Amino acid sequence: MTRKKKSILSDQRFIVLLVVIILAGIFSILSKEFRQYTTLLSMLDFSYYDLLMAIGVTFPLITGGVDLSIGTGMVCYALIAGTMVRSHGCPVLVAMLLCVVLGVLIGLLNGVLIGVMNLPPFLATLCTCMITRGLGSLYSATPWPTLTQEGGWFHSIFKLTIGTGRSADRYPLGFLWMILLVLLMEFVLNHTKFGRYTIAIGSNKEAAALSGINVKFYHVMVYVVCGLFTGLASIAYAAVTPTVQPGTGAGLEMDAIGGVFVGGVAASGGYGSVLGTFVGIFVIMLLKTGLPYIGLQANWQQIITGIVLIVAVLIDILKEKKR
Amino acid sequence: MGEVILTMKDIDKSFPGVHALDHVNFEVKRGEVHALMGENGAGKSTLMKVLTGIYQKDSGSITYKGKEVAFHNTREAQDAGIVIVHQELNMVGDLTVAQNIFIGREPRKGFRIDDKKMIEDSKKLFQDLHIEIDPREKMNNLTVGKQQMCEIAKAISHKAEVIIFDEPSAALTEKEIADLFEIIKDLRSKNLGIVYISHRMDEIKVITDRVTVMRDGGYVGTLITAESTKEDIINMMVGRVIYEDPKQHSMVPPNAPVVLKVEHLNAGKMVQDVSFELRKGEILGFSGLMGAGRTETARALFGADPKESGKISIMGKDGQLHEVTINSPQDAVKYGIGYLSEDRRRYGCVVQKSVTENTTLATMEEFTSGLVIQKGKEKQVTEKYIQELATKTPSADQLVVNLSGGNQQKVVIAKWLTRNSEILIFDEPTRGIDVGAKNEIYKLMNRLAAEGKSIIMISSEMTEVLRMSDRIIIMCEGKVTGDIDISEATQESIMDKATRNIN
Amino acid sequence: MEKLKQNPIVKKLGLNRILLVCILVLMFAAFKVVLGSKFPVMDSIRSTLNYVYFLGFLSLGVTFVIATGGIDFSIGPVMFCCALISGYCMVSYGVPCPVAMILCVLIGLAFGTFNGWMVSYMSVPPFIISMASMNIAKGIASVFTKTQSVSWPQSSDPVNGWFRNIVSYNGFPVGLIIFLAVAVLCGFILFNTKPGRYILCLGSNSEAVRLSGVNTRKWRMLAYMICGFLVGIAALFFVATYTTVQPGYGDQYNNEAIAGCVMGGTSMVGGLASVGGTVIGVFIISLLQQGIMAFGLGKGQQMIITGIIVIVAVYVDVSARRRKN
Repeated sequence: MTRKKKSILSDQRFIVLLVVIILAGIFSILSKEFRQYTTLLSMLDFSYYDLLMAIGVTFPLITGGVDLSIGTGMVCYALIAGTMVRSHGCPVLVAMLLCVVLGVLIGLLNGVLIGVMNLPPFLATLCTCMITRGLGSLYSATPWPTLTQEGGWFHSIFKLTIGTGRSADRYPLGFLWMILLVLLMEFVLNHTKFGRYTIAIGSNKEAAALSGINVKFYHVMVYVVCGLFTGLASIAYAAVTPTVQPGTGAGLEMDAIGGVFVGGVAASGGYGSVLGTFVGIFVIMLLKTGLPYIGLQANWQQIITGIVLIVAVLIDILKEKKR
Repeated sequence: MGEVILTMKDIDKSFPGVHALDHVNFEVKRGEVHALMGENGAGKSTLMKVLTGIYQKDSGSITYKGKEVAFHNTREAQDAGIVIVHQELNMVGDLTVAQNIFIGREPRKGFRIDDKKMIEDSKKLFQDLHIEIDPREKMNNLTVGKQQMCEIAKAISHKAEVIIFDEPSAALTEKEIADLFEIIKDLRSKNLGIVYISHRMDEIKVITDRVTVMRDGGYVGTLITAESTKEDIINMMVGRVIYEDPKQHSMVPPNAPVVLKVEHLNAGKMVQDVSFELRKGEILGFSGLMGAGRTETARALFGADPKESGKISIMGKDGQLHEVTINSPQDAVKYGIGYLSEDRRRYGCVVQKSVTENTTLATMEEFTSGLVIQKGKEKQVTEKYIQELATKTPSADQLVVNLSGGNQQKVVIAKWLTRNSEILIFDEPTRGIDVGAKNEIYKLMNRLAAEGKSIIMISSEMTEVLRMSDRIIIMCEGKVTGDIDISEATQESIMDKATRNIN
Repeated sequence: MEKLKQNPIVKKLGLNRILLVCILVLMFAAFKVVLGSKFPVMDSIRSTLNYVYFLGFLSLGVTFVIATGGIDFSIGPVMFCCALISGYCMVSYGVPCPVAMILCVLIGLAFGTFNGWMVSYMSVPPFIISMASMNIAKGIASVFTKTQSVSWPQSSDPVNGWFRNIVSYNGFPVGLIIFLAVAVLCGFILFNTKPGRYILCLGSNSEAVRLSGVNTRKWRMLAYMICGFLVGIAALFFVATYTTVQPGYGDQYNNEAIAGCVMGGTSMVGGLASVGGTVIGVFIISLLQQGIMAFGLGKGQQMIITGIIVIVAVYVDVSARRRKN
């Protein structure tokens, strides 16, 4: 038996990359405003938190599960951290750490419910989605500023301003971090035990357990990692969102999960890639950013994301059928 | 044979409602191949699962290399040097061969898994076993036989001292079996203890040194293979001689009409150009090795899986054959075909529902007026069949999950009889059914055939095929390789045809 | 305990259901004792009932879907979508009220049909289609209404005010009668008709039912359609009770509806359903919401508590099933 070299053209990630380029092209042609550097900058700014969530949720999706609590979780952590800074004089650095810790804790809760107590993933995380949403609004009843105001040092994690501070002089430093993170997590997925067992759980959990793998532990860890990235996402979210309305965040997980499916995760688990997620999320981001420029209401994006999700999953199912 | 490496003494294990192991004894010496034999459900697999820590024993002791041990999971057993090559394949399909072999103990360089070393080591393993498999291939892309070889390679790579083979040959071709035996002999010469679970008597004679027989969860005895005959072993296995002699000649009248004609059926790799005829009142045996494509043929015929081409004709009310299109089980049922799967819990009955609900499942139309179910009528018919088939159940409302395998099979039979199906496909009709109930099922099948039902029986048990069939179709690697009348059939001629395509 | 289980009356009613009714009564008593005058009996009953109406229909609907072993958590947003679009048609385009009401139910049915088709004919996992439908429902509602809230007519409205009578007529709880009647009908469909039998059986073992020659796809789709239809009815009762709907919301009702259903004894694994249980479950959830509000707690606490209830209910179900096997 010889192994066939896979053609790059049959790689979903490559096709999605083409889609990104075509979409960007269409929007650029249709709208002059879209072509500007500031549009790109703001799109990138708003993509970081989506991308971070997406990287995290890639892992549960590869196990055949899902995490629906990432959207509300992210908002909840940003709210709590923001309140800590504003009302309790907590240093920003500590607040950022708090975001990550909260993310890990909720991730751990999800992991235990799913991996140890065997609850269906969508149901368990639907509940933690509600709980985090409730927690956020519990903590502050009014719209509340997130971490700091515009200009705080932590913004420059994502944007490097050189010179006058005009937008043309800002450089999307965050993009660099994202690329590094994506590469890191792609490495983790393909070349570490954690990644390999994530795939094994998604592909054949029984067999993995019989091979002597501590399946419960790794199943929990998958959700912890997802929570960790949700925590990171809440920092990126706070950096671009001056104020947050408590009780919101539902629906934000859709953009991230949609992006992951566009990136080629298998609907039944067992296969996926972080690089795919990286490309996939930009399809969603382009739609989100571009649609208003061609005169469509922002809510169209919601509808289109839903349709894109279905189409992406259908493509996967058809591919599976062919095999 | 060297000193005793493993002793299991007085092992007892109960599950709710079942006494699975009743004070069983078993021992393995270094440098011996020890066969563990018994009917389906005799407790062989359970015993091995207790040994490797998948189940915990209720009482008894396990002594390994002079020390009493109790493993809590397969990992601990593996680390101690006891590994099992499972009957059902335990592979992660989305990972590569090398990744599967080293799963759970990947060599590492810092955080990174050392894939290069894994691939090198796998190559070495395969070289030692004289198998050609690319360690970088995804498991999903291999044939069942190759996957089994990977499983064996994995077991050997554990530096095992005791290796348990749980029916390893069931899915292998003759050549692969020969290779396997070479490997086993090689392992024996290296002073390993080997447990070999199999149903195939001829294999037992060839490869094993001793035989331990189990029956109904109990220990029967241990024999030295060279000093005992086939009959000795069989008698120990069944306890009493229940196997009737093979059928001598066909019971079907020579002028019986053909009720089903399949021509050039193709469905994937496992069903290639399959043609056969089934006559009224006939029991048509389908024999072959596991993976020969018999179940696939049945499923394609029944419309459960898609087919690529082929012509199926069924006798209509007018007594003539008519070509029919079967694209779904719905169509098949409409034309009077019923399918009884080997895996009753998954494909046969809805186990969490009652006997009644299962009996009428295929015939709802007859028990409804409008959309409303007539529960009285439903119950009446069910009770009729409970009596007729002698199904052992406290009532028609009992959940099927609480019935034994044989009685579950009867519920499925009742389902098709209610439907008045003329053609019944029995896929491994007695798998997982205990000895007594087996006989009942056989009698029932004979009665159905005598009443004019036509039966296709897929079976991997040679005795069953020879005892029940009027005619035997033999398949190998997706093709029909033989079609012989029972009067001409012998174990040897069937085996010969079942392995014809191979090599 | 075992003895109690064998008692013929207990057996007939189901121990689970008796316990649930006890919980319901105890909860009510506890609220009254702890809160005293802050929990006026009649008002509390009335507001609980108001909540029961729409939530009950959602819960009944999702019972069918869960019985097939699937899930639909787009029901909350879809309910709002129905109410918003049909309401907007009535208010802004002058569509007559009865037509708008029919439209409302049809939109629900359309979503149910779409979800069911995707799940059973296209093999899309139910949770994915739920996510997508949720987004699409919210998006369509927002786009259609230009993100403005919609008010259905008040009782005082001379022309269309009558429609609120489906909830209560001169203080008589018509809604309760309708709800209970529909619940009885749902129970009848599930346990005494062919579609119900198929839905329950395929929830338990879809492949065995298919191999019995049953068109499982059709019946699975029907379960989602029934669910969609009931969601449309739920939307009617929602606007008849509260009149105003806002786009972009409705998520929280998913959880509450599923909570009522699972608490009542419908198994998440599929194949086991209890309509009576769902009805009592809905009452408990609704009473709980009133209690929480009477305690002066907000939406936040409500969501957290419902979340925890679902987790506990599902865990009990999952572990009970595992013990059985």
